Amino acid sequence: MITRREWIAMMCAAPGAAPLVRSAAAAAAPASPVSIARCASYDEDVTARLAAMFDQLGGLERLVRAKTVTIKVNMTGSPGLRVRGKAPALTHYTHPKVLGATAYLMGRAGAQRIRFVESAWASGGPLEEMMLDAGWNVRQLIAAAPVVEFENTNALGKHKRYARFPVPGDAYMYPAYDLNQAFEETDVFVSVAKLKNHATCGVTLSLKNCFGNLPASIYGDDAGKDEPNERPARGRESVGHRGTRRPPKSAPQELHFGASHDPGYRVPRIVADLAGARPIDLAVIDGVESIAGGEGPWIGGLRLVQPGVLIAGLNPVSTDAVAAAVMGYNPRTTRGAAPFRSCDNMLLLAEARGAGSADLTRIDVRGLTIEQALYRYES
Amino acid sequence: MLAALGWVAGWCAPAPQAWVPMRWPWQDARSLDLLAGTPINCLLLEAYSPDLVAAAEKRGLVTLERIAPGGDTMAAARAALARGVSGIVLEGSFAEGTAAAVRTEAVSRPVIEITARNHLALGSAAPVLGTWQGVWPGIPTEDHGSSRMAGPSGSAWIDTNTGFIRTVRAWGDAAVWLANTPPAGEVITTERYLQAIADAAISGGRWVVALDRGFAGRLAAGDASARVSWQRMGALLDYFERHPEWRAMREAGKLALVQDPAKGGLLSGGILDMIAVKHTPVTPVPPQRLTPEALAGAAVAVDVDAGALTAPEEAVLRNFARSGGTVLTSPAGFKDERPPGDSITLSKAELDRFNDIWRDVNSLVGRQNLGVRLFNVSTMLSNVLASPDGKTEIVHLVNYSDYPVENVTVQFLGAYRRATLLTPDGADKTLQVYAADEGSGVDIDRVAVCATLKLEL
Repeated sequence: MITRREWIAMMCAAPGAAPLVRSAAAAAAPASPVSIARCASYDEDVTARLAAMFDQLGGLERLVRAKTVTIKVNMTGSPGLRVRGKAPALTHYTHPKVLGATAYLMGRAGAQRIRFVESAWASGGPLEEMMLDAGWNVRQLIAAAPVVEFENTNALGKHKRYARFPVPGDAYMYPAYDLNQAFEETDVFVSVAKLKNHATCGVTLSLKNCFGNLPASIYGDDAGKDEPNERPARGRESVGHRGTRRPPKSAPQELHFGASHDPGYRVPRIVADLAGARPIDLAVIDGVESIAGGEGPWIGGLRLVQPGVLIAGLNPVSTDAVAAAVMGYNPRTTRGAAPFRSCDNMLLLAEARGAGSADLTRIDVRGLTIEQALYRYES
Repeated sequence: MLAALGWVAGWCAPAPQAWVPMRWPWQDARSLDLLAGTPINCLLLEAYSPDLVAAAEKRGLVTLERIAPGGDTMAAARAALARGVSGIVLEGSFAEGTAAAVRTEAVSRPVIEITARNHLALGSAAPVLGTWQGVWPGIPTEDHGSSRMAGPSGSAWIDTNTGFIRTVRAWGDAAVWLANTPPAGEVITTERYLQAIADAAISGGRWVVALDRGFAGRLAAGDASARVSWQRMGALLDYFERHPEWRAMREAGKLALVQDPAKGGLLSGGILDMIAVKHTPVTPVPPQRLTPEALAGAAVAVDVDAGALTAPEEAVLRNFARSGGTVLTSPAGFKDERPPGDSITLSKAELDRFNDIWRDVNSLVGRQNLGVRLFNVSTMLSNVLASPDGKTEIVHLVNYSDYPVENVTVQFLGAYRRATLLTPDGADKTLQVYAADEGSGVDIDRVAVCATLKLEL
């Protein structure tokens, strides 16, 4: 078995490894411990695994006691789309057992309110219905903690107005983002993501998961010209990915509209912006069962994978860096090499704005080592 | 002649409405042993031995010789009757008057017509309305093998005959036969056969069982896996035949669709199937049968071709609206038209036209519970039926994917307190009924190909 130091040396020597040119902000970006645990199946005691991991990170109580916790789940695409007929949670959605266990542990640690959020694909309807359509037992999620709520952040949802989140420092794409108010009514923001690739961004993980914070009512292809469209029925291709149209006038406008229509340039920068605008306090990555080769069934050439791991950390950039390494990637690779073949590295973009460190040499990995958890996503 | 007399004397077969038909691909009498464990009791024959007919008669089976257009139909019919078959099937497009002439020749023996959809004798006294035109049920795949879908938003489309069957059944109590055959050049898995059976049965029709040549050959040769497939088909046929009460039930729910079968009502992939894919319970109502009684229980009526209604029909809808119902009419200038020729599906242009109505229906229905709402059923179709006394409701579910579906949620209106899941394997399961946002709900762990939720007061 190779040592952690040998593993890091190997990663840095891998083809496509970039010179580690860092800004002052990147060098000063915080690094937090990351925990990795083995979980071969969702039939195992997921709650016990996560409890041990959270303890390794310093315990949940100090993080969530008497707080409102917002948990961003990953339910990308229509729940009707399946990879080889499998339940979405076994392929590209975060698994409800991971979510339920997280909510249970947070409730036990004294969280006042737990709210699951996701921008349900092409819908402004209740998030619970999307979960039911994914085959989730919503009643079990509700029972996981004393107060559990749900919000579809694809539009106003149960709220009356949008909340504006300025991007601190130098924004890449937008000076601020208008999001569902649930993100404002949050003391602790948790991104529960899936360990998988992404066609546009190379990997998904906890940072990219929060691209889904954007309401399609504002950043969607069918958003209004002046005001949000409260019945969104499409994705975010033209505003987010390609920059061929602007969000409604009511929302902050793109800083350099028309400068780039390359999704591989735009989406990682929006993700990095969002990491500053709505910081993630806890990142949990579900790598028990997943897919490799893309983020959902609409991507060709997917493979089913069973890395059998859970990863968690208090800093999303550090957590994603470790997760990328577990997938067999160098988290500091730049555009042109796997997994960032046709995109910029959002981890480095976020790091450059001080959101966290993607430098494995600065990250204290607890539980399993990266090499113990290694599961190569490239076939 | 003697054979014919023998038939008259000995025949005590079930009524045509109870026939469970199959295109019998074998000629010898021993092949009838394959019927053990199946409810199939009506054989459509083309080439066969006298022994086969005699043996079938002994077993109480109905034998129908299939006659196709092209030759001397009357001579063929006389020859068939002389061979002692129970009756005749005329399949295809025959010259006008042919069927009547054959019936005269057959005297009391039944003559069943299997026609193009647009030649079905709706409203006639025919005990069986059959058509050779059907889509092969299932989720169509693109050339590269994946399901037909478009990006992250696309859900799989399901080819189905359910809308057609519902429309025909809205006209009366005749048995509806779907006599389409497996598509040539495709590998038909067991699941696809099961889906074809269930697709017809959940709407009260019967698929005329037809095996592809390879399957029939393997089955006759005693191939073990073919036998298992055949047993599963027999069990599924038996599942529906064990519940004749289901065929007496009628569509339930609060949405009625007023559409003329003489126009788009008999198509597959039309507005009725679009609604079915959304799992909204819907009752088709032909304008010719549009009465206040036909709209009883409905809260929403969709009039597909508003300009084509007669004054009395319009009055029914007007009164429905006055009494609190919602009427959605087609866009101005929209006409529901039958496609040219014998086509049973919509062209791209027609689909685009229907999309205008579909958007309106979708917007109107939204997330309303119009009787039943189902979740995690994107690869399934359903049909909601109610008993005449209103005390029992059933929700048929058919899964068109090659994989079982787990964790289906059903939310339903009404004060049903008991819920039972019935499956073809016979293991009935009582489900816990819990309160839901609107009405009640139950969770179903797993649906392989077919299951039925039975709700009782």
